[in-house]
Amino acid sequence: MTTTLTSPAGASLAPASTGGGLARKQNFLTGIIGGFVFGFIAWALSHHFFDNTSRSYSDLVTTFTSIGWMFGFWLGIGALNGPFAWLIGSDQTRADQLYYAGENQGKVRYWKYCTDHKVVGVQYIIMTMVLLGAGGLMAMGIRTELVAPGTHFVNQQVYNGLIAVHGMLMILALIVAVAGPWANFVLPIMCGARDMAFPRLNALSLWTLVSAAFLLLSTLAVGSLPVGWVVLAPITNQAGPGMDFFAMAIVVFSVSTTVAGVNTICTVMTMRTKGMTLSRLPIFVWGSMIAAALGLYAFPYFFLVETLQLLDRTESTSFFSAAGGGEGWLQANLFWLMGHPEVYVILIPAVAALFEIASVMSRKPVFSYRTAIGGMAGLAGLSILVWAHHMFTTGWAPTLGGPFMVTTELISIPTGVFFLVLVGTLWRGHIWMKLPTYWMFGFIANFIIAGITGIYLSDIPIDNEFHGTMFVTAHFHYVFVGSVLFGAIAALAFWYPKVTGRYLDEKLGRISFWLTFAGVQITFMAMFVSGLKGMPRRYASYSMLFEHSNFVTTVGAYTIMAGMLVLLGALITSWNKGEASGPNPWHANSLEWMVPTPPPLENFDVLPVITSDPYNYGEEKVNS
Amino acid sequence: MSHVDTHSEVHGHDEGHHEPPEVVDGRQRMAIWIFIFGDVIVLSAMLFTYLYLRGLNVGGHWMSMWGFQGKSYAQYENLANGSGLPAATLIHIKPMSASFSWLVTGVTALSALVVIFAERALRVAKNVRGFASLSAIATIIAVVSCVLSVVQLHHIPQIFTANNDSQVMAYTAYSSVMMIFIGSSLVHLAILVFLGLGLTIRASRGVLNVEKWYQARLVRLFWVWVAVTAVIVSALTTTINTIH
Amino acid sequence: MMTTNNKKSLRLFFIGWVLLTALFVVIGFVAPHHWMPRVMSPQEHMTVVTIILFTALAAPVAAGVYAVALHLLRHQTFRGNDVPPAAPAVRENSVLTVSWLATSVLLTVVVLVWGLGVLAADDGGATTNPLVVKVTGQQWLWSFAYEDNGKLVESNTLNLPENREVEFEVTSEDVTHGFWIPQMGIQVDANVGEITKIHTTPNQLGGFDVRCTQFCGLNHAFMVTTGDVMTRQQFNSWLAAQPSRS
Repeated sequence: MTTTLTSPAGASLAPASTGGGLARKQNFLTGIIGGFVFGFIAWALSHHFFDNTSRSYSDLVTTFTSIGWMFGFWLGIGALNGPFAWLIGSDQTRADQLYYAGENQGKVRYWKYCTDHKVVGVQYIIMTMVLLGAGGLMAMGIRTELVAPGTHFVNQQVYNGLIAVHGMLMILALIVAVAGPWANFVLPIMCGARDMAFPRLNALSLWTLVSAAFLLLSTLAVGSLPVGWVVLAPITNQAGPGMDFFAMAIVVFSVSTTVAGVNTICTVMTMRTKGMTLSRLPIFVWGSMIAAALGLYAFPYFFLVETLQLLDRTESTSFFSAAGGGEGWLQANLFWLMGHPEVYVILIPAVAALFEIASVMSRKPVFSYRTAIGGMAGLAGLSILVWAHHMFTTGWAPTLGGPFMVTTELISIPTGVFFLVLVGTLWRGHIWMKLPTYWMFGFIANFIIAGITGIYLSDIPIDNEFHGTMFVTAHFHYVFVGSVLFGAIAALAFWYPKVTGRYLDEKLGRISFWLTFAGVQITFMAMFVSGLKGMPRRYASYSMLFEHSNFVTTVGAYTIMAGMLVLLGALITSWNKGEASGPNPWHANSLEWMVPTPPPLENFDVLPVITSDPYNYGEEKVNS
Repeated sequence: MSHVDTHSEVHGHDEGHHEPPEVVDGRQRMAIWIFIFGDVIVLSAMLFTYLYLRGLNVGGHWMSMWGFQGKSYAQYENLANGSGLPAATLIHIKPMSASFSWLVTGVTALSALVVIFAERALRVAKNVRGFASLSAIATIIAVVSCVLSVVQLHHIPQIFTANNDSQVMAYTAYSSVMMIFIGSSLVHLAILVFLGLGLTIRASRGVLNVEKWYQARLVRLFWVWVAVTAVIVSALTTTINTIH
Repeated sequence: MMTTNNKKSLRLFFIGWVLLTALFVVIGFVAPHHWMPRVMSPQEHMTVVTIILFTALAAPVAAGVYAVALHLLRHQTFRGNDVPPAAPAVRENSVLTVSWLATSVLLTVVVLVWGLGVLAADDGGATTNPLVVKVTGQQWLWSFAYEDNGKLVESNTLNLPENREVEFEVTSEDVTHGFWIPQMGIQVDANVGEITKIHTTPNQLGGFDVRCTQFCGLNHAFMVTTGDVMTRQQFNSWLAAQPSRS
């Protein structure tokens, strides 16, 4: 039994609104044009003024071109309209607001600087797919090359560049994979709000990500990034301008995540509707907020360390070079201060979405709601204390090995809480075997392996054996592919009907699930074997000893690819031809299911008043 | 079974859903504090970098580097790839002027003080004209601070050195960290100039009036934060710099 | 209320749990012995022991979760398009939560104490009078230098005497490399301008590998060399026969 809040008749009145001003002419295309124009101007100016015999010439030109691109893109897409209007005292009228929110613009608004959080959510779905697709193509390039010993299709330099760009694209994709689409599309409605706290900042975070993605992909055109995605100094000294595009992409991306983080937290803390106390919030909202807070802590380090690398390359500063008193380990520390919390920024939204799905699909409340929140918060808090476990074998600070081992192994406690909550929710549940449920079970199976292999690596003597080998690569792929990606696809299958009004094709989705699940086991179990046997990572070529495990890994990779292609097919066919789902196909109680599909422009005509959490499915409460 | 109570007021869609100023202010103030938190992380990381590199003094090069005497690259411009260069010597630099650092910080702090008075003029005395004038003054002072920061940047000690077959003007670790401190300060000051300009223009046009006084307070909050960071950085870099 | 079916399915669940635990323990024992390189040092030996121990500790946890998942998939699922009825709304179970947390803490403590113990036992650098080998990494090869009566013997293969503690002093000429002997379970980065140290005592005769584990550029995948653990006599004769310089 559902309650649907419908808008009173005649809510959306006139044709095209009158507001918007300059924004009426701005869109993705003008953004690109602006980016190219200002990028070219910056290129020409720096080309003219900087000495082209100097060592840093190409780095300087690349950096300034990137700055020009970013500024021009923002100008062209309309991101700077708001600040400029504020400056001259010409605030947005209601008509402007409605225009920016995309009122009566139809599909065109998806190509514009649109402030409607639901549009931003869909744009993030597209961006996630673009990044995952590009990263996935590179993965197939990597695994195809590694099908047998020796060099086959790409030479080493190309291969070495592929692995780093693959890594960075996938990391970016996964940072936004759950948070981007769903902390935007669904979260405000879950809170009972009409939009995010700062709708224009929302559009800014999305389009900033887009401009950063351009920079990152440009890396490939200028010699790529044959230094590994962690861009350690001093090997980065040997990287060409690809490194500068990378660093600028990160600087820009940090702005995107910071803005999104501010928006998420302010929305949850200040925009909840009447009666929506913090303890009545859907658990997904809590997870999104915790992940956003952690990201706000972590990404400034990334912003700083890439700025420092750019300065070392363009201005001959000495942050990381010993000749001037710098140290490579400083880069590693700053990087991992960001790098470890970042993996939990990636993981927590996926887990929070799965908590939500587990509850709805088993017709039971989230088990131990407070422990779930405590687990996510504890994980986030602890994660800021573990970074140097990535540096156990660097020789940087052997005396700190013990303390970091302690903090790292303590993380297994909040991680274990995730299983407690998931399993506790499912136990005695009436589990509805629909597509999201399959991916959720896949997550459970894979995350066990991911978590436990992490415990091995946190033990220093074991790490002395496995650091830098394919064992590590297999571990974190079980985390990112086996767990996060499964969570992201579960979330997609779950909320897809809210976005489109149609089910994601159940049959194709299940085929995709089984292919991907099998593929993950084949690929990454064989990769563990490669690691056990002693194959280091980032190897463009390997000896006969690792022949069989690599062959199997490649077969597995193609299986995953098949699974992903089937999923893509499912997404495309279901968009227009999928089975109609109605506004609340899963019979859930959180607010996003109470509004029509698609939700109207400002979600609610009448802001609801909340009297309990959304986890009552009808059965009497059991006191255990 | 619904947990939603649908008996609430109905608002017209096109009039907008008006929120009282306190609500908007509270939300924007939270945003500024969260942004300041991010800024704190960046600042802490820069302070850590300064103390770490100084503490390590890798190779003794916190304030020294092997290079060649002479202040400009142009001196050696015509020499190809290291030939004809004199023997490299160990060149020591001096810490940057403490008094100039405190001058810039003082000017920034002064602009913050003026903003404090401006905000008070608006909130307490309800004097929009006074507020506009004081905002303009604070903005101009911030511009002065920007100019002084650029001068500071020019005075960061460089050493002409040879690096991988090319000659460059390079910075030791000390100079490098000073560069990011000053650079960061410049970026923040530029934001302050933008904000101050906005306040002045908006107040003059009457867009920022007495009811919207909280917008001035938001700017004041950030402005004071920037002044605080300037004081912290000056205090550190003028007291802890050379190594004995 | 527990029906016969419930009892039967619960018994199956426990059997499944036990079987899966046993399976994982066996895997934990077999996998290192089957796939990992030959054990040639006490550090590597302890690493293998630790892997087996950690797997044994993790096995009941992993098996438990899998057994629960399989049990749920067998008994609690609803298929079809009709939404299943509401399930018992169990929001809290303090017994379960507390015992789960207590078990995680206990397991973590055991793992930590063991790990820190192994670390401490091996730590503190070399003890006796070790053979000092200077390891230099550069793009893309390893070179080794032995101190022998005031002379420096250089070599591109790493030969070591059996049962003598060796301390490696590792550095790099250009970028960061990773010095790793898989058979001996030791690894440390080679950094420019730094000397990092690790030690071990090879206790088996025979060949071993040296591989670079830190990405170092174009030919990172080829930065491998080999070494041989030989008897002391063989080692001394080999050393004497190498060209050296003072």
